[in-house]
Amino acid sequence: MRSQMREELKFLGYILPWLVGFLLFFLVPAGASMVYSFTDYNAIKPPHSVGWSNYSRLFEDPIYLKSLRNTLFFVFIGVPCNLLFQILVSSLLNVPRRGVSLFRTFYYLPYLVPMIATVMIFRLIFSTDYGIVNHALDWFGIAKIGWLEKEAFAKPIIVLMNMWAAGSGILIFLAALKGVPRHLYEAATMDGAGKIRSFFVITLPMITPAILFSLVMQMIANFQLFTEAYLLNKGGPNYASSTYMLNTYNTGFRDFKFGLAMAQSWILTLIILVITVVVLATSRRWVYYEGGDNR
Amino acid sequence: MSRSNARATALLQYLLLLIGLAVFIGPLLWLVSTMLKTQGQSLEFPPRWIPDPVTTEAFSRLFRSLPLAWHWLGNSLLIAVLVAIGTVLSGSLVAFGFARTQARSKNALFIVLMATMMIPYQTTLIPLYLIYKNIGWYDTWLPLIVPSYLAGAFYVFLFRQFFLTVPRELDEATYIDGGTSWTVYTRILLPLSVPVLMTGAIFAFVFSWADFFSPFLFLQTAEKYTFIIGLQLLIGTQSQDLPALAAGSMISLLPIAILYLFAQRYFTEGVVLTGTKG
Repeated sequence: MRSQMREELKFLGYILPWLVGFLLFFLVPAGASMVYSFTDYNAIKPPHSVGWSNYSRLFEDPIYLKSLRNTLFFVFIGVPCNLLFQILVSSLLNVPRRGVSLFRTFYYLPYLVPMIATVMIFRLIFSTDYGIVNHALDWFGIAKIGWLEKEAFAKPIIVLMNMWAAGSGILIFLAALKGVPRHLYEAATMDGAGKIRSFFVITLPMITPAILFSLVMQMIANFQLFTEAYLLNKGGPNYASSTYMLNTYNTGFRDFKFGLAMAQSWILTLIILVITVVVLATSRRWVYYEGGDNR
Repeated sequence: MSRSNARATALLQYLLLLIGLAVFIGPLLWLVSTMLKTQGQSLEFPPRWIPDPVTTEAFSRLFRSLPLAWHWLGNSLLIAVLVAIGTVLSGSLVAFGFARTQARSKNALFIVLMATMMIPYQTTLIPLYLIYKNIGWYDTWLPLIVPSYLAGAFYVFLFRQFFLTVPRELDEATYIDGGTSWTVYTRILLPLSVPVLMTGAIFAFVFSWADFFSPFLFLQTAEKYTFIIGLQLLIGTQSQDLPALAAGSMISLLPIAILYLFAQRYFTEGVVLTGTKG
């Protein structure tokens, strides 16, 4: 009994830094934000309770709704495009050719570029008057396009930025591809399956655990997209790339409606949790687990 | 497959690899090209890949319009180093607790730890900001540094995964020799885990260096800025000076690129061990 007690204390001693951080920097603020989300707190006057009105009036705010729709675009269109791209590039890096590891080194590099530099690079490339993209289009006789000024391009350019910086996702898929046992491909070849068929019946099912992991992580990251949109165009033009987090940031730090901003934060947290749980729940149907009975 | 067919496949694969290379590295080369141009030449259409003349004027203009730039670089470096140290110290300590003690509450708390990784940060963001304001941490580096000394869940997970691969026989031998769990932690696990600790330190350094959001939110006085935040000022004031913007961007990514060049192994292993994304 005594020794169990001592073991418990020893454990708590080692994890003390995390425990302190969890209580003071997570539990306390999360609790506070729950309480304040039902008030009109603005950091100047003492808060008054406003019931559910912070939550109910959100759905009448057109900019809030537009930001929410934009964010859903990044999550449900941007993320799948990104995953597809990452799988294709990692398959390319998986070919048994000399020098391929050198390519891998360079493909990963953009992932490490600070977001502010990535944004500058994209501004240079897509600049209407001086950009290299419009220059290339010029060859084909296509007139200059205002990539950064048109609403229609605001979101796709951010998706492209995420694709360019997809290095870590590519490495995760590459590791998964290397983990596929060779004998499966040999068996498939003997059964007369071609390259493309092998990819769909062997490669894809075998890397589903990596797809699930990347899907969940990238969905969570895209729900919280802020820096790209803020630095590229402050969410413009006409809120075309305003994201949920950008809108919440404006609500809190520009308009000082902290109570409302905290209500928005909780709704996003709830949306993320629900979607994550749904994805994880359906994953039993499509993710292959080695050694598990794959229903 | 015939011989010429195999050669065609190889050719096609190399061609695709080169196209990929152009996609990933081309934009960086364009950045280099722009930063070496005169301001006038950067505004030419059609643009040219090779600057003529090659000039480093952009850097002089950058440091002239941002007189605090060197100061900010020093700030960024200091903060990132302190964050890296804190991450390794606290992360390895907590990971040791989870990997090597027999407490009953261990599994339950580990689930809580993992859950905090899944919960989006904005849940706590605004109250944290208000708390920092109230305790006098706003406009100091404390909100950027202190959390790294309180063991981020991701790093605890990373280190714990590695600690679990170290054979327990080594612990037992230490206990027989009269050592305590502290001896096991400092003399056995830490020395054996240098590679994964390096990975953790490097990631913490890079993420701290490149971070926009926290310093943007918590710093106000220009003297305290990190380089990334200072650079953002330039977008507002010198948006027509493309070479200077490019030069600033290059400076922001250079330390990371150099680190990557010399410690590539730690970067790739870290990604594969945990599969992180930002």
